[in-house]
Amino acid sequence: SHPSRGPHFTGCRSREQETFRCWWSAGIFQNLTEPGTLRVFYQTKNALSEWQECPDYTHTVKNECYFNKTFTHIWTSYCIQLRSVRENITYDETCFTVENIVHPDPPIGLNWTLLNVSHSGLHFDILVRWAPPPSADVQMGWMSLMYQVQYRVRNASHWEMLDLESGTQQSIYGLHTDKEYEVRVRCKMSAFNNFGEFSDSILVHVAQIPSKESTFPTTLVLIFGVIGLVILLVLLIFSQQQRLMVIFLPPIPAPKIKGIDPELLKNGKLDQLNSLLSSQDMYKPDFYHEDPWVEFIQLDLDDPAEKNESSDTQHLLGLSRSGSSHVLHFKSDDDSGRASCYDPEIPNPEDLAALLPGHSGRGDNHPLVSRSSSSIPDLGVQQTSEVEETPIQTQPAVPSWVNMDFYAQVSDFTPAGGVVLSPGQLNSSPEKKKEEENEKKIPFQLVSDGAYTSENTARQLSADVPPSPGPEQGYQTFPTQAVEGNLWNGEYLVSTSDSQIPYLLPEAPPVPILPPVSGYTVVQEVDAQHSLLLNPPSSQPAICPHSPNKHLPAMPTMPMGYLTPDLLGNLTP
Amino acid sequence: MGLSVPAVAVLLVVLLCLDPHGRVGSAPICAHGSSGCHVPSLADLFDRVIQHSARMHSLSNDLHSEFEQYFLPSKNHIRKIYRKCHTSNILTPNGKENAQKLAREELTEVILKLLMAWRDPLFQLHQSMAHQQDFNSFSSNKALEMGDMAHELRKGVEKVAEKMRVLGMLGNSVTGLSAAEAMLPLSDSGEAMSDYELLYCFRRDSNKVQNYLKILKCRIVPEHDC
Repeated sequence: SHPSRGPHFTGCRSREQETFRCWWSAGIFQNLTEPGTLRVFYQTKNALSEWQECPDYTHTVKNECYFNKTFTHIWTSYCIQLRSVRENITYDETCFTVENIVHPDPPIGLNWTLLNVSHSGLHFDILVRWAPPPSADVQMGWMSLMYQVQYRVRNASHWEMLDLESGTQQSIYGLHTDKEYEVRVRCKMSAFNNFGEFSDSILVHVAQIPSKESTFPTTLVLIFGVIGLVILLVLLIFSQQQRLMVIFLPPIPAPKIKGIDPELLKNGKLDQLNSLLSSQDMYKPDFYHEDPWVEFIQLDLDDPAEKNESSDTQHLLGLSRSGSSHVLHFKSDDDSGRASCYDPEIPNPEDLAALLPGHSGRGDNHPLVSRSSSSIPDLGVQQTSEVEETPIQTQPAVPSWVNMDFYAQVSDFTPAGGVVLSPGQLNSSPEKKKEEENEKKIPFQLVSDGAYTSENTARQLSADVPPSPGPEQGYQTFPTQAVEGNLWNGEYLVSTSDSQIPYLLPEAPPVPILPPVSGYTVVQEVDAQHSLLLNPPSSQPAICPHSPNKHLPAMPTMPMGYLTPDLLGNLTP
Repeated sequence: MGLSVPAVAVLLVVLLCLDPHGRVGSAPICAHGSSGCHVPSLADLFDRVIQHSARMHSLSNDLHSEFEQYFLPSKNHIRKIYRKCHTSNILTPNGKENAQKLAREELTEVILKLLMAWRDPLFQLHQSMAHQQDFNSFSSNKALEMGDMAHELRKGVEKVAEKMRVLGMLGNSVTGLSAAEAMLPLSDSGEAMSDYELLYCFRRDSNKVQNYLKILKCRIVPEHDC
């Protein structure tokens, strides 16, 4: 209480809910400390009684007023006043009900028994027992008490508190051996909040049994065991690495082609590869990249309206674009569709016409001229009449159409290894072309896309055609005498020009009466003179390269019959 | 594990019904001589009733503490502690000796009067607390439970009294059982009491009931040191 206060009550307490006491203090008023100067008056509110003086001023204790059983009424409101009678001043007043000021006495008979000790000998459990305070009538139940046990390590600052217990015993778990503990207990009335005083503390101590050998090795064994396990695991993983890799990271199957060894593909030579691949009926690999003197002419097929820019073909052809209102641009050739069996696509007559050198106004766009035997004359006739009229139209089947320019029939081989092509049987404006043809001959490499000519045909052609003036230069294109319907199969002729224009004109010799030359024949063998021996042309155009070649066991049937100088060299018997 | 859900439910219900401990509330007193019925002794009845009253008093204490904590933070409530409860008219023994001196019948009657007097006020208290936003639903549920408990306790004490009468422990002078009337919780000035006042008064009265029952049991059932 405040030290500078005047006389005041310091508290009222009941121990057993049958009597109660009140205490007061004189405060700083030292002149009031004499007994009798301050008096206590009380009033019980239920009866609206008068203020009565304290029934019993305790003689042994200073400033205490004791209410015995007679004057104690439970469930009754009391108000007490601290008065100085002489001065008739009420210094303090407080009101309460008795059951709310009950603070039970501390329990008695606190003792403990050892429950068990842990295996390690480090911990133990005890059972603490006590008896209710004798002043509390718990047998009848006049006071139903709840107990609270507290313990701490001796002389520590913090008490551990356990839950409220309605019985008279409680277990304490997890105490450390070799430590001294203090245990104490207090109680309160259940459903009320006033705790009584603590009982005296008791000391709990259990000596630690020296069993160090049981604890220490256990830890060590555990640690080493774990380390050993880890090492084992690591060893296992490393030893079985491959298998584990397969299990956890299964290899993705690499692409595989039946019969082809990937190693050979990596390391094999070109001819071996060719033999390999040809046996697989696959599309022929692209040899173009190895032949520097072969180049593609890729033409873009644009709108006829876009004609202002000069096309490549014009450059190639070296022709002025006088009056040419059309620029032929061919779609760049893509690789698609170049299967083994190449479907024949008959182009439009107009397209043909456009490509043919017979076109005066239009024929200057194409680099090569190829003639076919049978069908072209008809077309050519048509074209001459339609030259001025029909615009060049683009065709969806441009690629094949582009190719048809480049197909020609091999008639002869030059000593240098070049290929001489035979012109077709078509005559169309031979005069003009004759001149140009004689002047500009282009080394021409036949890169045949399954181009075959028969042996006989080749010989005939070679016999018929005069030798070209310059072995390196001029090559005449020979009209591919393909059977109608198979006109544009196979041969894909690419011209390389070191001069300006790979413009080949068909020679206009008197048209020899040649036997119908099919567009393709199978090269059978190469004789000592480096001439190709071809199969005789059959009635059916032996276009599909799948026809078996019986005469050339050394060289398997090549579906896409590309011939390169290297290959030619290999063909030499 | 192949039981279907309805079968399991039926099984559970049967088990609950069969298990005597699964039921909450006072056990029926079997008629004398009927077979297959566990007849609880008077001591058991008293124990149950006392336990019930202890729980009821604990609930009332909790509610009162909550109310004090949230609505009356100051400790000055002691000053204005005097409240005239509506049950103050009922003469109740104010101490242990007084209660022990009282006749059993009178004590039983007092208990029943008290419980009866609180039937309606507790219902009012619950209604009032449920409608106020200040109380959370938990407190309101406690009030409802308290009212139910008081009702059940009254029924239990009536049964105990009946048993005692049957056993001849109670004389025929017990008239309060039927005469206990419900009382309106009116304060001294005639107005309705506030929630806090009701809580305060009920807390006191439930403590009275609990202690009276204990004293009664001690007097009726011969036990050691009672």
